[in-house]
Amino acid sequence: MSKFSINNLECVRQNNILFQGLNITIKDHGLLQINGANGSGKSSLLQICSGLIEPTAGEILWNDKNTKKYRYEFQSNILYLGHTNAIKSSLTVEENMKVMHAMAGTKSKIDYSIILEKIGIPNTNEILTCNISAGQKRRVGLTRLFISKSKLWFLDEPFNALDEQGKKIIEKIIIKHCKNGGIVFFTTHQEMEINNYPLQNIHLGNNNA
Amino acid sequence: MLEYINIFYVIFKRDLTLTFREKTDFINSLAFFIIIVLLFPLTFGSKSELLNTIIPGIIWISALLATCLSLETIFRSDFEDGSIEQLVLNRYPLILLVSAKILAHWITFGIPIIVISLTLGVILSLSNEIMMALFITLILGTPILSLLGSVMAVLTMGLHGSMLLSILILPLSMPVLIFSTIAIQNASLGLPIIAETYFLAGILILAITLAPIAAASALRIRLS
Repeated sequence: MSKFSINNLECVRQNNILFQGLNITIKDHGLLQINGANGSGKSSLLQICSGLIEPTAGEILWNDKNTKKYRYEFQSNILYLGHTNAIKSSLTVEENMKVMHAMAGTKSKIDYSIILEKIGIPNTNEILTCNISAGQKRRVGLTRLFISKSKLWFLDEPFNALDEQGKKIIEKIIIKHCKNGGIVFFTTHQEMEINNYPLQNIHLGNNNA
Repeated sequence: MLEYINIFYVIFKRDLTLTFREKTDFINSLAFFIIIVLLFPLTFGSKSELLNTIIPGIIWISALLATCLSLETIFRSDFEDGSIEQLVLNRYPLILLVSAKILAHWITFGIPIIVISLTLGVILSLSNEIMMALFITLILGTPILSLLGSVMAVLTMGLHGSMLLSILILPLSMPVLIFSTIAIQNASLGLPIIAETYFLAGILILAITLAPIAAASALRIRLS
């Protein structure tokens, strides 16, 4: 059983308190949606949780160990996806996936064509990513969800640029991951159709969570 | 251990592929280098004694300036497309990944500079001793420039204009320039250059040990 908790977290940006005294504890199978208006600190919260930026105050614990002290132990358990796709436009789709695969550290062989088929862009292996559409690029970035073996996912607006069909695929993989014991934090502005799974919510904004 | 070598190789290969596919930056800095070096014989005439004394120094100064140009690109695309976040939040040590990027930069920049310098040396008919000293100092000196420069490139990333990068790199590479040019002067007088070579090798070892650590920490600071 793994546990992720944040204690008394505070974030100040440009003299603006985005949130303070934020406490969350989430265990296996947890699915948490972060809500809030633009600029309410959703992305900052995800970046702080993943260790990308430092909180103004408070601490983040993974299995009761401070993530800053046990940085690499924590980082081998997480997958962070930001606004950007983190793919290289002059590499082909498959070359990008090979880099992701190596960085994910999974030793098992992966059939890239099958993943591309699952995510709805079959037979694009050899195409340079600068030649595909924004939605397709997003999907290439999101193939990390299939490649990674990490337990804890931080997804910042995963449904951006995706069409209905793409959104459904990603919803499905998120729920599948949670059912298998994973933990997912995500932000979105879109309506979610997750009826058959308990979804936790936190709301960031002026009348704080 | 094997997986560390593997990830190093993957990042290294990725950067090499990217540099060769996005040729413009790569070619620009090398073209800049060749043009600066070739301007001098045009202005000073082609007397070989004069060229023998000034050209090695000029090659070194041009290499330094070209480094400033090329270093700007080393982390730029990673910052733009978000790859840097993936590198920083990776399960593998950031120092290792940064080292792979620096090595890739040296292979795509330092080695061409050495090859071009020697070719230019032949064209401008430098003496054999000077060519040898030039080769030794460049092969020890260019990696130092890549290593030092990568730290500065991270620190100045996202700030507009590359002028700041040059202002930071140029003073820091002074020792390299001094030892290299003294070595070349000594070589032209037929004196041994062993002391300068050792000094350069020492600086190189120091840079290999410390620069990736500094660059990795700078990256974390830059992102937060």
